[in-house]
Amino acid sequence: MTTITQPFVRFGLRLLGGPTGAVLVMTATFVVAALAFFAINGRESIPLFQEMVMGAFGDSYSFSETLVKTAPILLTALAVALPARLGLISVGGEGQLYLGALFGTGAVLAAVDQPGWLLMPLMLAGAMAGGALWGVIPGLLKTRLGVNETISTLLLNYVGVLLVSFVVHGPWKNPNSLGWPATIEFPEGAILPQFFDTRVHMGLVFGVVAAIVLHILVTRSRWGLGLQVSRSNPRVGATAGISYERNVLIVMAVGGLLAGLAGIAEASVIQNRLQDGLASGYGMTGFLVAWLAGQHFLRIIPLSVLMGGLLASADSLQLYAQLPKASADILQALLFIIVLAVASLWARRREA
Amino acid sequence: MESFITELLTLLFAALRSATPVLAVVLGEAMTQRSGVINLGVEGQMLLGAMTGFAVASVTGDPWLGVLAACGAGTALSMVHATLVLGCGANQIASGVAVLILGGGLSAYYGIPFVGDKIDTLGNLNQTFVSDIPLLGQFLGPITPTVLITLLAIPAISIFLFRTRLGLRWRSTGESQDITRNLGHNPVPYQLAAIAFGGLMSGFAGAALAVDYTANWVEGMTAGRGLVAVGLVIVARWNPWYALPAALLFGASEALNLKLQSWGVDISPYLLATLPYLIPLSVLMLSYRGLRASGGGMPAGLRVVFQSAR
Repeated sequence: MTTITQPFVRFGLRLLGGPTGAVLVMTATFVVAALAFFAINGRESIPLFQEMVMGAFGDSYSFSETLVKTAPILLTALAVALPARLGLISVGGEGQLYLGALFGTGAVLAAVDQPGWLLMPLMLAGAMAGGALWGVIPGLLKTRLGVNETISTLLLNYVGVLLVSFVVHGPWKNPNSLGWPATIEFPEGAILPQFFDTRVHMGLVFGVVAAIVLHILVTRSRWGLGLQVSRSNPRVGATAGISYERNVLIVMAVGGLLAGLAGIAEASVIQNRLQDGLASGYGMTGFLVAWLAGQHFLRIIPLSVLMGGLLASADSLQLYAQLPKASADILQALLFIIVLAVASLWARRREA
Repeated sequence: MESFITELLTLLFAALRSATPVLAVVLGEAMTQRSGVINLGVEGQMLLGAMTGFAVASVTGDPWLGVLAACGAGTALSMVHATLVLGCGANQIASGVAVLILGGGLSAYYGIPFVGDKIDTLGNLNQTFVSDIPLLGQFLGPITPTVLITLLAIPAISIFLFRTRLGLRWRSTGESQDITRNLGHNPVPYQLAAIAFGGLMSGFAGAALAVDYTANWVEGMTAGRGLVAVGLVIVARWNPWYALPAALLFGASEALNLKLQSWGVDISPYLLATLPYLIPLSVLMLSYRGLRASGGGMPAGLRVVFQSAR
């Protein structure tokens, strides 16, 4: 009997020791942790957990809301994963998202009378420029002065949020909004296309296309190879004519540009205007997703959908189960902690 | 002229009061980094400390119990970072961000019932002999206990770090774990203590903000003070004495922000509110130039952290 089962047992153990096992352990631990979190707070864990899954993927409406949340997460995660290819740890997705919304809205307000075929490209170009600007600044600080990009991006996030507050409370405030700090509603021509009568919008397409293009560029192109060389040894790269400094600026700018698109999509489709509290937290969630995906562009896509589901279900639970919105943050953090712990332990064991 | 000096001194002491929470975090984080560990989670620890401190002060009616509870909460949350970094060998930056999100979430979740509560404050020096000192009394009077405790921590930390055997080992852990190990000392207990101390100080900083300075709890009220502090550790060159002027930078920018508003300067308060981020960031830029030239006292063990992405 044992001789028959032994190969299976051995195969099972090997599977557990590899990445599949790590993912299984992560998932199981997270489910237990989430159930425990609900139980500690006096909730009926299992029904609540079921409701969460249903709230994210239960019917076509909830799934569409999941995809609505997926778009900014996906784009901001790419804004983290691309700099990571060069060994940079950027946490600036949030600020870049806000700057994208700011500049994109600026373009809309400046060209508000123009027809859609002109207005839309102007808006998107503005958004990309704004996001890229908020990526290039920490990039320049890094290359010119050596300022750690993690700290500068984190601080610039707060500045970005305040700049949006400034314009919506001040110069761009709609005089007819009865004191509500927001710009005028975006005209028809500045609303990104949506699909199937839902709020799912072009931003999702931008994200998926960008993930695939970046994956191909990084794994198949000369430039991608250059990033790898630059990362492992900037000096060797320099002798081959690969400028580390230029690559830092490129990855930070492109990352920022993508996060900027997320920002204008939120303003245009979800809010129809620029206002305070545009999209709090998507930048951090994007950071988390990029790490969960191991900075792998294609893996970011399904993980963004999963995380979008978590946020969407948190919204519906807030409505139906009076579960505070912060529970989504706690669950995200628990997931991140578990994944970090398990991944690091597994990596350490492989080395041993 | 006299009124100018009065105005300047008022600004300086206002800066000291608003700098105190940041100073406490800078001191704690400098000690953590001296052992070769960076912890971005101080922002989350500070928030959890602020919420816990305020909640305990509100429920028990004793603000000092609140301060103690805040220290405990900050330390407890910092142990998540310790477990991930020391126990599992996870990336320190990523682990710090995880702690940051967790602290923000926990404080927002459990802080809801306490929003808008009124608490007793820790008082200030106005009721003591200090306020009777001629000329200076009016400035020293509003100083609160957390300001004094934080200021006293500077010489205490400095003596520990530079004048004791334990402090020497603490620093050597941050310079090179390998050499420390070769000398027969295990670096892990030092790093654990360093993370815990950083947790304690950030929790205390949260209480200094919520229980003492504002006597209020609002979700996300630290508004990046912990992260500014992590940047200011570099400005302070990992030296407790330089931590004071570094933290005063933040305090002065915040005091200036409030002062300009009260003077009725015609600049949007939202733009002025960017000062406490932009001024420290600018000084950080200048500071880095010196750091590049001389190394500037960065614990050598930290370079590894700053240079690896995963």
